[in-house]
Amino acid sequence: MKTIIFLIKTIVIVAILLLLYSIFTPALSRSRELSQKQKEEYERNMRAQEEYCRSLEEAEKRSAKRAPSRTGRAFMPSSPTTGGYTEGGSVGGSSVIVDLNVAPRRAGRSIPDILLPCSADEIWVIARAETAVAVVDDGETPGCGTLMGKLDDTEDEVPLPLKHTDVAGHIAGYIATVDVTQQFHNPYDEKIEAVYVFPLPQNAAVKEFIMTVGDRKIRGIIREREEAEQIYREARNQGYVASLLTQERPNIFTQKVANIEPGKAIDINIKYFNTLTYRDGWYEFVFPMVVGPRFNPPGSTEGVGAVAYGKSGSSDQKTEVQYLKPDQRSGHDISLSLDIDTGVTIEEVVSTNHVITQSSLGPERMLVSLSARDNIPNKDFVLRYRVAGRKLKSGLVTYQDERGGYFTLMLYPPDSLRHLKRAPMEMIFVLDCSGSMSGAPIAKAKDAIIRALKKLGPDDTFQVIRFSNNASQLGPQPVPATEENIRKGIKYVESLNGSGGTMMIEGIKAALDFEHDPRRFRLVSFMTDGYIGNEVEIMGAIQQKLGASRIFSFGVGSSVNRYLLDRMAKLGKGAVAYIGLGDSAGQLIDQFYDCISHPALTDVTIDWGNLEVSDIYPRQIPDLFVGRPIILTGRFTGSGETAVRISGNVGDMTQDITIPVNLSDNNAQHAGLACVWARKKIEDLSNQLTYDNNSDLPGEIKKVALNYGLMSAYTAFIAVDSAHQTDGDHGVTVNVPVPVPDGVRYDTTISY
Amino acid sequence: MKRATITLLIVILTCIVVPVLARPAQEDTVTSGVENKKGIETVFAPLEIYIDSGDQELAAYQFELRAVSGKIKIVGVEGGAHPAYQEPPYYDPAALARDRIIIAAFNTSANLPQGKIRIATVHLQILGTETPDYEINLTVAASPDGSQIPATITLVQGEQK
Repeated sequence: MKTIIFLIKTIVIVAILLLLYSIFTPALSRSRELSQKQKEEYERNMRAQEEYCRSLEEAEKRSAKRAPSRTGRAFMPSSPTTGGYTEGGSVGGSSVIVDLNVAPRRAGRSIPDILLPCSADEIWVIARAETAVAVVDDGETPGCGTLMGKLDDTEDEVPLPLKHTDVAGHIAGYIATVDVTQQFHNPYDEKIEAVYVFPLPQNAAVKEFIMTVGDRKIRGIIREREEAEQIYREARNQGYVASLLTQERPNIFTQKVANIEPGKAIDINIKYFNTLTYRDGWYEFVFPMVVGPRFNPPGSTEGVGAVAYGKSGSSDQKTEVQYLKPDQRSGHDISLSLDIDTGVTIEEVVSTNHVITQSSLGPERMLVSLSARDNIPNKDFVLRYRVAGRKLKSGLVTYQDERGGYFTLMLYPPDSLRHLKRAPMEMIFVLDCSGSMSGAPIAKAKDAIIRALKKLGPDDTFQVIRFSNNASQLGPQPVPATEENIRKGIKYVESLNGSGGTMMIEGIKAALDFEHDPRRFRLVSFMTDGYIGNEVEIMGAIQQKLGASRIFSFGVGSSVNRYLLDRMAKLGKGAVAYIGLGDSAGQLIDQFYDCISHPALTDVTIDWGNLEVSDIYPRQIPDLFVGRPIILTGRFTGSGETAVRISGNVGDMTQDITIPVNLSDNNAQHAGLACVWARKKIEDLSNQLTYDNNSDLPGEIKKVALNYGLMSAYTAFIAVDSAHQTDGDHGVTVNVPVPVPDGVRYDTTISY
Repeated sequence: MKRATITLLIVILTCIVVPVLARPAQEDTVTSGVENKKGIETVFAPLEIYIDSGDQELAAYQFELRAVSGKIKIVGVEGGAHPAYQEPPYYDPAALARDRIIIAAFNTSANLPQGKIRIATVHLQILGTETPDYEINLTVAASPDGSQIPATITLVQGEQK
C-alpha cells in the first residue's frame, strides 16, 4: 500500500514538473504540434516578422529625422467605411491581416497603399473573421494612400509600373509572328516587384522571352513551372532583377518582374506564333488587350478572380485581376503595328474596334498601325482583311529541320455543298444573362437571336434558354417555328436582361440534357462573353453531354474569352463566331445562316497519297461547314509533289475532293510551324485532360513544351540578371490594375 | 530515507531527460530568416564566355556548357560585348538540362569581331556550397563564307555589381 502511495506521489511530481516545463518552454509544445506544412509557414512568418521588426526599426530611425510619412508601417484593411488601409489595429476587432514584407515608406512618391498586395505568400494571417470583411475604397477618403494625378476633368491617372505595351506583328500567309514588349518602370521611391495579368491569343505558341535591363538583354530559359517559380522566388529574395512568365489559362498569363529599382525601367519581350482564322476570303488577326472579369462558381479557388483596384486577395482565386474604376486610368497605353504579306492581292481592310492607319507596300503587302488616338488597352484589336479570290494561294505550309517535317493544311469545304439544302433543324439558343453581359453586349446578343428566329423555316423547331445564377427557358420543349411561336420567342428574348453570376454549367445542362428529336439536326447556339473561371468544368460537361448536338459559340463583346468559346465550338463539333460591339449582329447571323443552310461534310477522312504523315491535330477531323475551312497541323516525311484526297458524307452521298500538294514549294514555308504544331499537340493533350484522368497527360504536355521551348500550364520562362544585386531582399509587390473591357459595366461585374 | 532518495533520483532524472527529449523537437523548428540568410546555400552568378578567333572574322559559333561538379541551374543567357553578338543568343530547348546548355548565334553583317571577345554571358544559380567546375566545348566557329575556323573558347566568372 505504501509503495502504491509512493508511486502515485512520484507520478504526480513528475507530471507537475512536465507541466511546468511545457509552460516555460512553449516552443517545445508548439514544435511537436506542427506538421511539416505548418513548420514551413511558421518559418516564413518568423522570417517575415524579423524583417518587419527590422523595417520598423529603420522606419523609426528615419521618422526621427523627419516628419512622419503619410503612409503606414504595417498595412491592415481598415473598416469598410473608411476605405484604404490604416496603421495597425484590426478589422472589426476580429480579423488582422498584416503585410510583413512592406518596407517602411520614405517621403516622396511612395507606393499607394491601395496597390499593396495581400497574396497568400506575402501575408501572415493571424486570424480570419468568420465573415469576410470587405474593404471599400471610396477613392476620396484622405489617407487612403493613392497617388493620382489628374488626367482630365473626368479621369484620375494612376501611376503604375507598367508604362507601355508595344505589339509588332508580321503576317505571312495565315501565320502571324508577334513581338510583344511590356515596358515596366518604377515611378516610386522604393524598390518594387510588378505583377501583371494579361491576355494573349488562345492559340499563341509563346516561344521567346527576353528581359532587357538598361542596354543588356537576357534571354529567359524555359523550365518546369514549379522550378521556375522557385528560382524566381530565390532571386527576388536575394535582390536580383528577375522575371517570370507563367500561364494561367491558354489565353491568360502572369508576368512578374522583381526588384525594379526606383526610376529604373525593365522591358519584357515575348514572341509568339499563331494561325489566323479565314472565312470566305477574309483573314482575321486578333490581339486581346485586357482580361475580362470572370465569374467563379461558389467554392472554386482555381478560377480567375475579378477584384476592384487595391483589393488584392479578396476573391480567394488562384489568379486575380484588379480593375480600375470607370473614372480611373492608368498611364499604361498600347501601340500596335502589323506588316501583312499575304501573297495575294489585298482588297479590303477593316478594323472593327479601333481606329487604324494603313499604308500599302504593294498589292500583296500592307502596313497597319493602331492610331495614337486609340491607345487605351481595353478591347480586342480585331483586323480583318479580304484577299482576292475565295481561296488562299496555297493552303499548305511546311517546314523541315533536324527533327523532321511539319505542315499545316487549310481544308476547304467543297463548293458543291452550296447547292444543297439542309435538313430541318432543332435550334437551341442559349443566352448568357449574367451581369457582365449587361448593357451593350446583351443588346447585341438579343439582336442576333431575334434575327436568327426570323430566319427559321416552317419545318424547324426552336427553344430559347437563358442563364445567369440559374437557367430557365421559353417552354418545356422546343416549339415549331410558326409565326405565332416566333413572335412569342422574340417577346421572351426582348424581356431578358443581364444581372447576376455566370453559372454556365446550368445553361449547358438545360441545352444538352433533353431528348434529341432524331428527325432534326440539333444546333445549340451559345451567346456569351465567356467570362467564367471554370472553363475546364464547362468543357468536360460538353464532352460528356454533346451527343448528336452541334455547338456554335458566339462571343459577344469587345474582349471576350476566346479560349472558352473556341474550345466549346471544337468540342461541340461546330464553329465559333465573334460579335464585337462595333459589328452588325444581323450581318453575322446572315453569315451563320449561310453556313448552316447547307449540309456539312461529315465523317471526313483523308488519303495522304505518297505523304507519310503522323501526329495530326485535331485528331478527329470535324464536320466541314460551308465557308468555314479548318486547319490541320501535323508531321510529315518525304518531299516532292503528291495529291491529298478528302472524302466525306453529305447525307447519304459521298463527296471526294483532291488537293495537289507540293512539299518542295519554298514559297510556302514558315519557320514557326514546329512551334505551331507543338502548340496544337499541347492543346490536344489539354483537351483530353478535361475528361480523362490519365495522370500521364500533364507529363506529356510538359515534355512537349520543354522540347519546343514553349509556354504551357506546366512550364514557365525565367530570366535572372545575376550580374547585379540590388540593395535589400525584395521590393514591395505592386499589382497592375486594368480597365474593364469596353462595354462591360464595372458595377455589375466587379463584386469584391 | 530510501524512498526519499528514490524520489529525488526520479526528479533529477526527469529534469535531465525532459530537456534532452525536448531538444530534437526544438531543432525541428525552422530557423529565422536572418539565420537562413547567413547560411545561404543558393547564390546567383554570371559566367562570361569568350571566343578567340585570332585574325579571322567570327560569323557563327555554337558551344556546349555544362557543370561537371557542383550543382547549377541556368537562369538566363545574355549577349556579348561586340555589336554583332549583343543580342542574346539562342539555346536549344530540347538539349537543355538543369546544368547543360547548347548555345548558338550567327551574324551576317559586315562588322564582325576578330580576336578574343566576350560572346555571351550565362546567368547561373549555384546550389550548395561546392564551387562548380565547368566544361565548355566549342562545337563550331565559322567565318562569313561558312567555313570552319580555328578558335578557342574560355570562360571566367563574371563580376557582380
